[in-house]
Amino acid sequence: MSSGNVVETDVLVIGGGIGGCFAAIKAKETGVDVTIVDKAYAGKSGASIAATIFWMVFNPEWGADFDVLMDTFVKAGEYINNREWCEVVLKDSLAIYQDMVAWGVEFHPDWRECINMYPPFTGVRLKFRKHAPALRKQAEKVGVRIIDRVMCTDLLKQDDKIVGAIGFSYDTGGLYIFKAKATILTAGGSSYKPPQFAMWPITGDGEGMAYRAGAEITGKEFPTTFPTLASYPLWGRSTWAYIHLFPRLTTDGSGATTVPPFESGVEGSRREWALNWEFLVHAGKRPIIWDLGLASDEEIKRAQREAANSGFSPAEHERIGLDLNQRGKFAVSGGPAGYSQAGQAGVWVHDTECTTSLPGLYAAGDCGGIRYNGSYLANPGLGTGPSAVSGRRAGVGAADYALREKKLSIDETEIDRLKKVIYTPMERKSGFSPRWVTQLLQNTVMPYYIVFVKHGERLQAALTIVEFLRDHLVPKLMVKDAHELRLAHETKNMVLNAEMMLRAALFRTESRGLHYREDYPRRDDPTWLAWTKVKEEQGRMKVSREPVPEEWWPDLSKPYEERYDLRFPGEFVE
Amino acid sequence: MSIERIDPELCTGCGICVNSCPMDVIRMDEKGEKAIIKYPEECMCCDYCELDCPVDAIYVSPEKYAPLMVSWC
Repeated sequence: MSSGNVVETDVLVIGGGIGGCFAAIKAKETGVDVTIVDKAYAGKSGASIAATIFWMVFNPEWGADFDVLMDTFVKAGEYINNREWCEVVLKDSLAIYQDMVAWGVEFHPDWRECINMYPPFTGVRLKFRKHAPALRKQAEKVGVRIIDRVMCTDLLKQDDKIVGAIGFSYDTGGLYIFKAKATILTAGGSSYKPPQFAMWPITGDGEGMAYRAGAEITGKEFPTTFPTLASYPLWGRSTWAYIHLFPRLTTDGSGATTVPPFESGVEGSRREWALNWEFLVHAGKRPIIWDLGLASDEEIKRAQREAANSGFSPAEHERIGLDLNQRGKFAVSGGPAGYSQAGQAGVWVHDTECTTSLPGLYAAGDCGGIRYNGSYLANPGLGTGPSAVSGRRAGVGAADYALREKKLSIDETEIDRLKKVIYTPMERKSGFSPRWVTQLLQNTVMPYYIVFVKHGERLQAALTIVEFLRDHLVPKLMVKDAHELRLAHETKNMVLNAEMMLRAALFRTESRGLHYREDYPRRDDPTWLAWTKVKEEQGRMKVSREPVPEEWWPDLSKPYEERYDLRFPGEFVE
Repeated sequence: MSIERIDPELCTGCGICVNSCPMDVIRMDEKGEKAIIKYPEECMCCDYCELDCPVDAIYVSPEKYAPLMVSWC
């Protein structure tokens, strides 16, 4: 028999960010018993530093047009959007907003000014770090059980159904066994602890445990990128907001302005804005400079307002040497390289209730592969909001499933096996440090020439190294305490996610959206009007292609150049 | 270097910063009276501890030294 803390619940929610909080609250409202378990602190841990900038709320009363927005989604996403989910993301957003208002979430004081911040989208702004505590408070109010500082490592599977999860406390080292009729994964996306962006808790734990349990993972070939200041790259809190709002102030090494102004609503410019800088770097046109000398007085004033909204004091500006009045020049760094694409990558979901290929398992938030954004996120503000949307759907679906399930009985030998997996790194007398293996992984898969400007040969080379890390170093990770035990399991998940990313990128033999292959620099229609799926089969990682329904394809009778108005380097060279 | 200090004179031991840190950098001391920097290697400079501290006892430097890291990744 396994000893440990045993928690029995109807619906288990793994990860208490925005998606997890919505999932838990909505499940609890149906009357079932609900537990959130969070690797850090539910309500605080999931929010990225950028989560406040814009919150898309589709509201016709504010001037939003459904057809225009759908068109914006699929054009930016280059036609591999799941349009069912696009519709849900738009139509559910108002209810999410109204819930948040009712729960006392504070919004930007000048919220009316923000409604049309990013046309054609409408929305509001959150106040920095105010929404998450309000969500936790609401979850507590409706009676959700919350367990903080416990890392789940694996899902529990019984008769091909998911019946909970297993994990440990990094405070006490104690084992936690969660027995649940339904389990919702809202454990975030995946990244490799990027040195450019403070999102290090996001290590692909959800996708990792889903993969090991036999679920399908999608969208791993699509990265995310946005810039931060190179001088203090982790300090992305407000500097990210500035660069984001004023991309046209950015120049390459020769002084040429590199990006069209996003704010004018130039269609698709955001993708250019993201990837073009990587192309410039590849061409040797470093450094990329953010030049405030090009800013108008109005832009400087607006940036100062942004600073205040981000909770960023003048003293903090001074600390990083950023004085907006001095109009200096700042080197731009590479953003969260290797972060999976929100709303695209994740555990493959079958329907708008977030069911997966495993009965009893639901996936939502950044962990849910709802694929609404296609190959590129159409707008800022489409990460956090849709996480709430899919979380809410998953909560309702999982609660309904839990009500239909009988009492659980879980095989103790499986629990014992997974318990051994958790604690083995603590028992080793010799082996490798997870911090070191993480660094090896970062230096292998995070360079721009692997994540952004890809080539089959380089991807294959990186994959060879990652396979070595997987086979030789990960099985010999050694830690000295429960804190480091968390690092060991994070490292294992990051290595697994790197393998998924590289295999999916090798498999997609075309370029589309943020996936650019130098050796395949064109979109390949209709072959790649498709999604990738990664899955374990007989101990091997297999990648497959899932076609996008034909009614969602672009008009293939139109010339290629008209179907796709954004260019890739080398696209037309024979 | 990322999180630099938690002033023991100012710290009231409320423990808010322990929960604000998603990386488990901060723990309470053995007596459970003061917050201490236990695992500075994991600090990612998010600054949440400093922002959430009700008595301004924490200072996080934006500088993070990560050996072998490259700036364009």
